[in-house]
Amino acid sequence: MRLVFTGAVLLLFKLLQADYASGQQPPATSVGAPVVDARMREQQRVEVLQRIAPSVVCVMASSGEGGGSGVLISSDGLAVSNYHVTSGSGSFMKCGLNNGRVYDAVIVGIDPTGDVALIQLLGRTDFPAAIPGDSDIVQAGDEVLALGNPFLLASDFSPTVTYGIVSGVRRYQYPANTFLEYTDCIQIDASINPGNSGGPLFDIQGRWIGINGRASFEKRGRVNSGAAYAISVNQVLRFLDSLRCGLIVDHGRTEFTVETGENNTAVVSQVSQLSEAWRRGLRPQAELLTFAGRSLTSANDFQNVLGTFPEGDRVPMTWRDSTGRHSATIRLTPLHSFRKAPELPQERRRRPGPDGEPEPQQKSDADQLPEEMRRLYVERDGFCNFHFNQLRQTALLEPLRNQAAAAGDPAAVWTLNLQIPLPAGNTPAELVISQETVGLRLGPSAWLQKISQPEAAEEPPAYPGLLTALGQLRRLLNPDSSVFSEILAAGSTRHLPLNRTLKVLITRDGIRTARWYFDDAGAFPVAVDLSYSAELDEARLVLDGWQARNGLPTPSRIGVIDSTSEEITWLQVEAATVRKP
Amino acid sequence: MAAGRGSNGPQTLTFTACSRAGRGRSFPSQVFQMHHLFQITSRRRFLSTAATLLAAGPAMAAAGQQTPAQPALDPRQVVVKLFGAGVGSLDSYGTGILVSPQGHVLTIANHLVSTGFLTAVTADGRRWPVETLATSTEHDAAIVRIQARPEDMFPFLDLQQAVDVEPGTPVLAWSNMFRVAAGNEPVSVVHGVIAAAVPLEASQGRWKFPVKTPVWILDAITNNSGAGGGLVVDEAGRPVGLIGREIRHDRSRIWVNYAVPLTALRPAVTAMLEGRRVTPSAATADAAPLMSDRDLTARFGLTLLPAVVERTPAWVDAVTPDSPAARAGIQRGDLILLVGDSVITSVTDVRRQMTSAVPGRELSVTVNRDNQLIALKLAVPPSPRK
Repeated sequence: MRLVFTGAVLLLFKLLQADYASGQQPPATSVGAPVVDARMREQQRVEVLQRIAPSVVCVMASSGEGGGSGVLISSDGLAVSNYHVTSGSGSFMKCGLNNGRVYDAVIVGIDPTGDVALIQLLGRTDFPAAIPGDSDIVQAGDEVLALGNPFLLASDFSPTVTYGIVSGVRRYQYPANTFLEYTDCIQIDASINPGNSGGPLFDIQGRWIGINGRASFEKRGRVNSGAAYAISVNQVLRFLDSLRCGLIVDHGRTEFTVETGENNTAVVSQVSQLSEAWRRGLRPQAELLTFAGRSLTSANDFQNVLGTFPEGDRVPMTWRDSTGRHSATIRLTPLHSFRKAPELPQERRRRPGPDGEPEPQQKSDADQLPEEMRRLYVERDGFCNFHFNQLRQTALLEPLRNQAAAAGDPAAVWTLNLQIPLPAGNTPAELVISQETVGLRLGPSAWLQKISQPEAAEEPPAYPGLLTALGQLRRLLNPDSSVFSEILAAGSTRHLPLNRTLKVLITRDGIRTARWYFDDAGAFPVAVDLSYSAELDEARLVLDGWQARNGLPTPSRIGVIDSTSEEITWLQVEAATVRKP
Repeated sequence: MAAGRGSNGPQTLTFTACSRAGRGRSFPSQVFQMHHLFQITSRRRFLSTAATLLAAGPAMAAAGQQTPAQPALDPRQVVVKLFGAGVGSLDSYGTGILVSPQGHVLTIANHLVSTGFLTAVTADGRRWPVETLATSTEHDAAIVRIQARPEDMFPFLDLQQAVDVEPGTPVLAWSNMFRVAAGNEPVSVVHGVIAAAVPLEASQGRWKFPVKTPVWILDAITNNSGAGGGLVVDEAGRPVGLIGREIRHDRSRIWVNYAVPLTALRPAVTAMLEGRRVTPSAATADAAPLMSDRDLTARFGLTLLPAVVERTPAWVDAVTPDSPAARAGIQRGDLILLVGDSVITSVTDVRRQMTSAVPGRELSVTVNRDNQLIALKLAVPPSPRK
């Protein structure tokens, strides 16, 4: 039936062409230049495709069934796909590349809410990786190329290419009947069909700008309808290092809600009185002006920006109320707190092939895998693959412990001589850190804090949490890590106010949760944020200029971040001594 | 879908020059470039600037300076999202095009327009109540009007700028498809090519597509929820067509992607803007004998207002106790909006639907009662013996 209609159209085309031939043609103009231009662009497109196609992955269950798509992002074989592609494939997968070869792969990390999964292809150190672009500058009208394996057409794994334009940016797709939420995504009219899921979206110059994951399917069934959605690469990259740590990465949440107000405004409707935002002075009716650096004109805008951040990130915001304009930073709290990879509704999971083949089994038979592969997957509650978390923990903790061990006896008492800037001028102070206590003597005043059972009242009022945080530092440097109930590597984040991307290690000790920030330059943490009470602000310290003094590694100055002003007060470390017990 | 971008027409610039440094060619750049102009102006100024720019379009076109360097309009500024009452399988959203600075909006004459309760969201994110001014069943078009203050000015599309294009012309289609952009986000755009200009034989249930003149067949997927009433422009940003309904081709049963040429709509729009009713031609009138008012009362227990004017609204004047209408819960004063999936615009429409109702079946009847939409089930009684 379809052919009949197409035939009628063709016939009309012929008739119209006949009309032209009979002289009713539009005025003849130079058509040479556009044709040359079109050929040039075609040539460029072919070259771009040759360059990017090797990075496109066909993701299959280890049994070789089913299939989605993915994209390689590093030469050691890390590849990004959709959570709804890898969910249901088990921990190990098979991946086909356009060289026709199949590689084994293991799951690394997942972001269920954002529908992103990170997998590790094995067997090469020179995998061809896609180069990311900046999805924030993508705009409606840009030409795009979607690559992947729709309908599992390519038996040799050379990806199918579809072409289109960006139909809209910063789209929000509701979590329909599931937890998958597409925020700030790129809407395209390139054909996206079952099997394209997890595959890369490229701009016309071949820069990777998104992951094709979702489409508006309707009356035609589950085939292209001209409206598909790609997760922006900027969001993927923001989660990437956490995924690399083998985590079930959670999205962030604020402890206040926002509604669309009149005249294109985002208005705060409710604020939790236990929240950091409340302590910074945010109240209902305030107009939220910016969030994470983006200006807001609606609740949708807010939801869009918020959805691109992982839990635990600290983000800046500004608002206006009857008393004027304010700014602050707040830490995002967990949205779902998944302890296990969550189940997807049936239709969201890996899509069956064109023949409607049955869904592959949930878990592959890992026992049949060689030992060196099985070692790459460690199951643990709260993690996607604990093996990759161990790798990062070791990378962060080993150099730290090696150097800290030089400090000698763990029972020794450390004494730091400080210069504290007071209104009267720089004032000497003495900080004494033992295995059990942290004490500060400043002029006539003195505070003594127990490391195991700290009390808020024992903190110096000018620097609340300082002593407890330094007690945790002592425990971190202690070679015996069993003092912490939990240690986990938590990827990387933008530290504020340092405004640097730093690796994060989280330690828990009772109710005290410390986030230690590391750069690539040294073994010691460059900052720490310590949460030690639900009702109080975090103690946020910058640990700058680490050096060994009398064998003891110490920062040359300790910065105390004021949570209200975000300003840093520096306490100079003049000298450090170690006293044996 | 075919990737089909034909070779660029003679009026195409080298687009690379227009795109931002180091980026791919934006398609088509000048249509999108306007956007930057607007961003730097305040809203009020922006509106008047836009209106001035748009109004300047036809003068340039008339002077024969049809160069793409002088874009006629930014489609995003003139395409509005419509939100209304969706009932049953019919969507609650659609698209329209601003065609006057006073806020007249051209859209298709579908159920959204007929049932009322319409809200328009303009490009700046503002929401407006909308009233229906006129419909042209013959053109399947309607004019609704944003209820704005006299001082409100809207950027608009001057229909005098509309052009006819040849098959093979690359086009962009802007619409509120799938309600992707529900707030103040810009509408969606898809790309394609005019595949043909043909008279269209298509239908939606019992409704026949009424336009007899050729329409544009598009190779873009525009046959989507909420896309109807959207705008098709050529590469130079010149207006070309009004995106049509979600209908199937009569013979092939495929979903047709089509747009009605704006040039063909111009006279009807002019008439509707002047407040004149565009009467359906004889060709579209239904020749089947209709159930009489008396039969309607006798069989269904339903008495409507007498059809004193051409399109008497389907108000229920009386309901016979213990009749099918009474059992369905229909009450005096109800305004019947839908019977099944068919939009009711007059008492005649109700009679037409009841004429073809199958005895023993249940008909869904949607009424407006005190500004609330109420869905009812009406059991169709057996036919009277002849």
